[in-house]
Amino acid sequence: MVFKNIICPVCGGSCDDIQVELKDGKIDVQNACKMGNAKFQEVVSHHRILKPTIRENGKVKDVSWDEALEMAADILVNSKRPLFFLGSETSCEAQEVGLHMAEYLGGLADSNATICHGPTVMGIQESGMVGATAGQAKNRADMIVYWGVNALESMPRHMSKYGVFPRGYWTKRGRFDRTMVTVDPRVTPTAVASDLHLQLNPNSDYELLSALFTILNGREPHPSVEEITGIPISVMKQTVEMMKESNYVSIYVGLGVSSSYGKHRNIEIALNFVKEMNNYTKCNIGALRGHCNVAGFNQIASYLYGYPFGLDFGKGYPRYNPGEYTTVDVLREKDVDAAFVMSADLVNHIPADSAKYLAEIPMICLDIAPCPSTTAADVVLPGVIDAMECDGTFYRLDNVPVYFEPFTDSPFPETKSNEDTLKQLFAKIKAKKEA
Amino acid sequence: MEALLNTGSTIDEGRLAKGGNKYSEDYKLECAVCWMCAEDYASLGCPDKVAVTSRDGRYTIAVYSKVTESVRSGHVFIPRSIWANVVVEPDTFSTGSPRYKGSPVMVEPTNEEVLSAEEIVLKLYMGGE
Repeated sequence: MVFKNIICPVCGGSCDDIQVELKDGKIDVQNACKMGNAKFQEVVSHHRILKPTIRENGKVKDVSWDEALEMAADILVNSKRPLFFLGSETSCEAQEVGLHMAEYLGGLADSNATICHGPTVMGIQESGMVGATAGQAKNRADMIVYWGVNALESMPRHMSKYGVFPRGYWTKRGRFDRTMVTVDPRVTPTAVASDLHLQLNPNSDYELLSALFTILNGREPHPSVEEITGIPISVMKQTVEMMKESNYVSIYVGLGVSSSYGKHRNIEIALNFVKEMNNYTKCNIGALRGHCNVAGFNQIASYLYGYPFGLDFGKGYPRYNPGEYTTVDVLREKDVDAAFVMSADLVNHIPADSAKYLAEIPMICLDIAPCPSTTAADVVLPGVIDAMECDGTFYRLDNVPVYFEPFTDSPFPETKSNEDTLKQLFAKIKAKKEA
Repeated sequence: MEALLNTGSTIDEGRLAKGGNKYSEDYKLECAVCWMCAEDYASLGCPDKVAVTSRDGRYTIAVYSKVTESVRSGHVFIPRSIWANVVVEPDTFSTGSPRYKGSPVMVEPTNEEVLSAEEIVLKLYMGGE
């Protein structure tokens, strides 16, 4: 049977046009990108984690679901300050249970945003954001700017689905009606596909944005900005003119802006620049969110507890202070004593000091395939693949909620979804605590 | 050679990571690679492998070298992965996010073995367990 309009659970693009056929232990996938196709193959892959395991005296052994959940509950109940890293390759529903567990145990809750667009979110908190849905940009934008993001390789279908190539209501000729600019220190495939590439020096985003802002305000930037950024002032002026002459400019920022020196201040000035640009033409800005449901965690954590990531429940109420309660920092400072890592390969993606400490402390990992985090974990719980084996909700890169339905069932009789697994774990934790 | 390290996605890094193949040889060959310009490659003596060391000198990782026209002299690129993150600066400037872009590193020729992702976890992070 062929299933149509399946949601892809890989990146923030949440492509909703995937066609899947499951037949004779094989899966045929249409419309997905290379990353999406690889993920859909996980449904039938030979390396899928199918049994819970625990590490005992340095040896890893298979155990029953109940034994694994018991050991996981013991680790979390006996922890003074557990970290819940609620990854983005799962549903908001599962993340919500994880957040409640963190609150119940007085731990910390964080998600991929903390090592992704966390500084972008902080920048938005500083200055507000002129935003739009991806559909608005598709239908209206005649100028697209990719700043610090290699869209072709981090969200491969963004350019064809939302950004550059699709025919929109006001951009009927697709690519021919749009000007594309990339700002990146590397000559990426996205930069090669652009009409204009500003190859700025690393860590000079703030200076370049300041100079563009100065030009927009009719002033001359200081000549030293050419040496600092590597971009001639004449090219900066040309870029600002191109923006002002466009009908609608849509800017997508990536980790090149939020992870470089300057961090959230880079984003803050970019957002202020966009506000100012709206005095001349319509202009919006958005983050190209690389992880699947990373926007979802920000949404539900804000909705439930008032803060978008890096929450600390140590005092019984939510507190937020990036740099103090955020994953990389609490691990680097050895400020937690156990961790629950769901649907994210945290050991792979954090700096060595933090990864080393994470491997030292008791860790429970819920995932679908072997990876550095499962290797370092003390308990491994097999994951259910959202949007393929269970239903739920993702938030797309532009914060639009997307409800997804599965095309097959969970391979495990013990659990229907990651949400279900977390609810079972939470029940055990409550029983142990109340006993 | 002192350089600024940039890390980020490549399409095959994404394909292999999302396909659950982080312990494959293909993943190592895609991600354990330091991209640099021809000028920097020549100044290092055209090595097959380089050792990339964090600014504080505490962590070093051996990776394959690759010549590219996509980065300027003094800048290197490693696909986002466990190899890159061994030497990424852990300071977050009170944001929670480390310096995945623009971390200062030292790059030198080496004959050290390029470890697999699993070997890095076992030897470097778990103390040889």
